[in-house]
Formats: sequence, C-alpha cells, structure tokens
Amino acid sequence: MTNQTVFRPATAPVSPSPKHDQPNVVARFFANQTAVLIIVLIGMVVLFALINPAFFSIGVFGNILVDWAPIALIAIGETFVVISGGIDLSVGSTITISGVVAAFAMQAMTTAGVSDALSIVVGAVVSLLVGLLVGLVNAVLINEAKLVPFIATLATLGAGAGMALVLTKGGPVGGGPPTAINLSVPVLGPFSYPVIVVIVLAVIAGAFLHRARFGRYTFAIGGNQFSAVASGISVKRHILKVYLLSGGLAGLAGMVTYLTLASGSPSSGLGDELNAIAAVVIGGVSLTGGVGRMSGTIIGSLILTTVTSGLIVSNIDPNWNQVVVAILIAAAVTLQTLRGATHRRKS
Amino acid sequence: MSEIPAPTASEYVYEVRDVGKRYGSVVALEDVTLGVRAGEVVGLVGDNGAGKSTLVKILSGVHQSDSGTVLLDGREQLWKSTHQVIEAGIETLYQDNGLAPNLAVAANVFLGRELTVKGPLGRLGFLDKKKMDKLAHEDLEAAGIGVPASERSVSQLSGGQRQAVAIGRAVAWARKVIILDEPTNHLGARQANEVLDVIRAAKAKGLGVIFISHTLPHVLEVTDRIVVLRLGRLVRDAPTSEFDNESLLGTITGLIGAT
Repeated sequence: MTNQTVFRPATAPVSPSPKHDQPNVVARFFANQTAVLIIVLIGMVVLFALINPAFFSIGVFGNILVDWAPIALIAIGETFVVISGGIDLSVGSTITISGVVAAFAMQAMTTAGVSDALSIVVGAVVSLLVGLLVGLVNAVLINEAKLVPFIATLATLGAGAGMALVLTKGGPVGGGPPTAINLSVPVLGPFSYPVIVVIVLAVIAGAFLHRARFGRYTFAIGGNQFSAVASGISVKRHILKVYLLSGGLAGLAGMVTYLTLASGSPSSGLGDELNAIAAVVIGGVSLTGGVGRMSGTIIGSLILTTVTSGLIVSNIDPNWNQVVVAILIAAAVTLQTLRGATHRRKS
Repeated sequence: MSEIPAPTASEYVYEVRDVGKRYGSVVALEDVTLGVRAGEVVGLVGDNGAGKSTLVKILSGVHQSDSGTVLLDGREQLWKSTHQVIEAGIETLYQDNGLAPNLAVAANVFLGRELTVKGPLGRLGFLDKKKMDKLAHEDLEAAGIGVPASERSVSQLSGGQRQAVAIGRAVAWARKVIILDEPTNHLGARQANEVLDVIRAAKAKGLGVIFISHTLPHVLEVTDRIVVLRLGRLVRDAPTSEFDNESLLGTITGLIGAT
C-alpha cells in the first residue's frame, strides 16, 4: 500500500502516553486512584494509631487481616462481576450457606473420627462446591432466564440465606474439627494461613484480570457487550465463568469465616454483599461496567476493615462505621465522576 | 457435521439467497438475494427501515435468518456465532462501531483473537501485549490507518479516530469479505475520501466489499454494483454505471419503480 491512502483523522495527533492529558501534577495524582487509596489507608492507620497507640500492633493488624480475608475474597469476585457489567448480591448469603453446609460436613467427619486436617480440607472443598453451585444458578438465571443480574442474584441471596436458616434452625453448627480455630492465628507477623491464601489468590486474580484473555473479555463485555459479540467472544460462556468465579470465591470465604468462628453460623455473611460492593466501588470499579483495577479492590477492602477495627480501638461507637463507609463511597464515586468529566472534555 | 454440502457453482465469494427475517410480526427482510464477487465493491443502499442493518447482522452472524441460505464460496453455511464468521475470513464494521470503549487500540484490534505468551502461562490465556502492540501498529499502518497503537482506551479517541481503528481492524483481519456499515459516519470530507481509498485498496487486494451508506455520492464513486433495498425487499441490483444520483435516490424512495 502506498502513502496516499494513509488515513489520518484530522483531529489532534494521539499522544503516546496518557500522562500528557493531565494538566498538572496534582490532577495527575488524583487521577491515579490506587495512589489516592494507599494514601487514605496510610492516613487512617496513622490517625487511629495517634488516637490509641495500641492500634499500631501486630495483634490488631492480625485481627484486621482476619476480618479482611473473607471480604477480600468476595470483593475479588465482585470486581470481575461488576467490570463485566453485572452485580452479584448473593455473595453474602453464599458465605453463610457454604459455611453452614461445610460445618455440617466437618461435624459429621469429626464425629466419625476423621482427622482434623482431612476434615478441614474436605470442608474447604464442600464450601467451594456450594459456592460454585450458587454461581451456576446465578449464571443460568442471567443467561437463560434472561433476568438482569440484580434480580437474579437478589433471588439467590434470599434463597441462600433462607436455606441456611432452615438447615441450622437458626443456631450455630459446631462440633467440627477442634483445631480449626487455630488456623486463624497469625503464623508470620500478622498473617495467618487463610490470609496468606487470600493474598496469593488476590495476586493470581489480578494477573488474570489485567494480563490474561479472561480479564480482557471481562472488560470488553462490560464496556460494550455488542462489541464483544461482534468480535466473536462467547459472551454467555464468559458470563457463566465470571459468576462461577464469584460464587466459588464466596464459597471459600464461607470456609474462611468458619475458621474464625469455629462454627457455621446462619448469620455469618449477613450484609457482606454490601461490603463487597463498597470495597470495589471505593477501589474505583465503575458500577456501569468496563472500568476497574484489582489493586483498587484490595486496598478498598483493606480500608473498609481498617475503619471497623480502628473505630473499636479508638473507643468510638462502632456504629459510626457505616457513616464513615458511606462517606468513603461518596468520595470515591465523586473522584471517578470528576475523572470521567476530564476525559469527556477532551473528546 | 457428518456431511459437508457440495459447493454449487457460484460466481460470488459470499452471498445470500432468498433470506428472510422477522422480528415478531414485523417483516424486516423478505426473499433477499445478493452476492459479492472477489475484488468487487457492492453498494447496499436503502432508506431507514429498508433492512440494511438486519442484512448486515445476518451476513456477520449476529442474527440467523428465518429462511433462505447463506453461501461462502458456494458452500451453504449455517452460522451459529459471529466467531465462525470471523474465522471464515469475513469482517464487519458495524454502524456506531463495535469497539470495546475501555480497551486500548491494540486490544481492540486483537479482541477475540488475542495472542498469548509461549508456554504454560500462554495456555492459561496470558497475553503477549508487546507483540500485539507491535503487530496492531503494523496492521493499521498497512491498512492505511495512522492512529498510533497507544495505551489509551479508545473511548478517549475522537469519533474519527475510533472509526479509523474500527476500519483498520476489519481490513487487517479480512481474508475474503469485508462488510462496512456506514464507515464514513462521523467523518469529515477529507477523512471520508480516505475511507474510500481504503475500500479501493481492499478491492485491489481481492476482497469482496459490501459498502452500506446513506451518502450516495460515495456509493456512486466507489462501488461496482449497487443493490437497493426498500421495506425489506430487494428492488434493484444493477451495475453502478446504470445509476446517477437522481435515479439512485428515486429507486431508494420508490419514486422510480423497480425494474
């Protein structure tokens, strides 16, 4: 082909780097949501440590991370779901139902004299399978029954929570492996085994979101579903995978929660779907789909759990938690909107 | 897949015979037959609601027709997905282009056919971004598109630049047929002329081109043959030399009767 057919749109040339778009250093900094989030997190830790120096300890950090682990798991799944243009409201009740079913399984095995280690491994597998089943139901409702994700997962939220209550008759399910609770004790600084597992899973999930085909399709579908279809992507199959992932991670979160309580509780995951959504929104994931970063979700979920522990350590009524979280969500979305506005002005 | 239908003799690389499509009680397309030869540019024109977009979606595999057949190289095809159509070497540029707004230029060029790194990570779907960036840049250049393959998402490009990327992607991947639905939308006069050059280049490469446009001078300028649809039916299929702006407009609006 010769040069005469070179098609160069008459508009200004595309600058090779997004940095050239930012008017100045301050604006550029606020455009990087991850950097802002890290500053907010560090600021919180410093603030709470100033209020009560006891906050700055491995013990408190260990507790924060134990609280963080299940929230981080469901927030990781929620990140994929929301970027794909959906929402998964069922993750909280999946924590509950998977923890309860796993608790029954482990109770039966412990009663039968099975070793603690094997019981715990089986419990983890059971909770994972329960979570995958919820994810499968969600995907079928969305793909085949054509329900919008909000309604589909609202249905499984209700069904899961209700079934947990029916199965447990409202009480906790104990009698599992006696040494299970030890797993929530930090083994390396503030890190316990479940926390280490969650960190590894977060890194893997981040790699799949930002460096692999799986993530790319997730962004493509959430940004413009037709473009994904037109590009030959099997959208239904991908949506199935995304909800299976979210369900499976919520199932594992149920097991992690079991390990901290040493029992399956019918209220263990109550309301956690809102924590997951708060974490991803604070982390910069757009609820309209197509935008987000795993690092944002991870720091967002850390901020959430840090606020909860910090308020307790600071002797502030923990009910302020919800108010603080609400402010954080509003601030995060405002930041996003402002960023969107700068982009729009340029195009 | 037990039996591959024998190819029937056909002068067309891609064609539809007697296709029909309804949406509920609305007949969008009825008994339309049309084909494109290799190295030929066919203009597809018609008023709004004439059935152009429906036909495009049948040709690109987004929709399946209710009746009639689709043939590639004389072989009947039962497209089940856009993926199959793309694999067969047929590329489509959709009106309001089908780009993923939050992905960068190179990611869009390779969307649906990403290159992965070698080894086990590649089997897990890990992407060879560097290679795709490089090849996307080269492909766009080769197609005559001057948008650098930058890291910016395409939503930050201008309408003209987005259109350029969409056209470049289609030209880069098409091996047999390229379907362009309103490719000169959002473009100024000079850019539109450049799109027409891209179409001529695709023709010279031996691709079959189906060009859908409301801009009749463009259609008259670049096509070899023009097919006119009205209210879901084919009303005229004739060499471009038999039309002028006035007679083409008359055929589209129905002021000039079908021949």
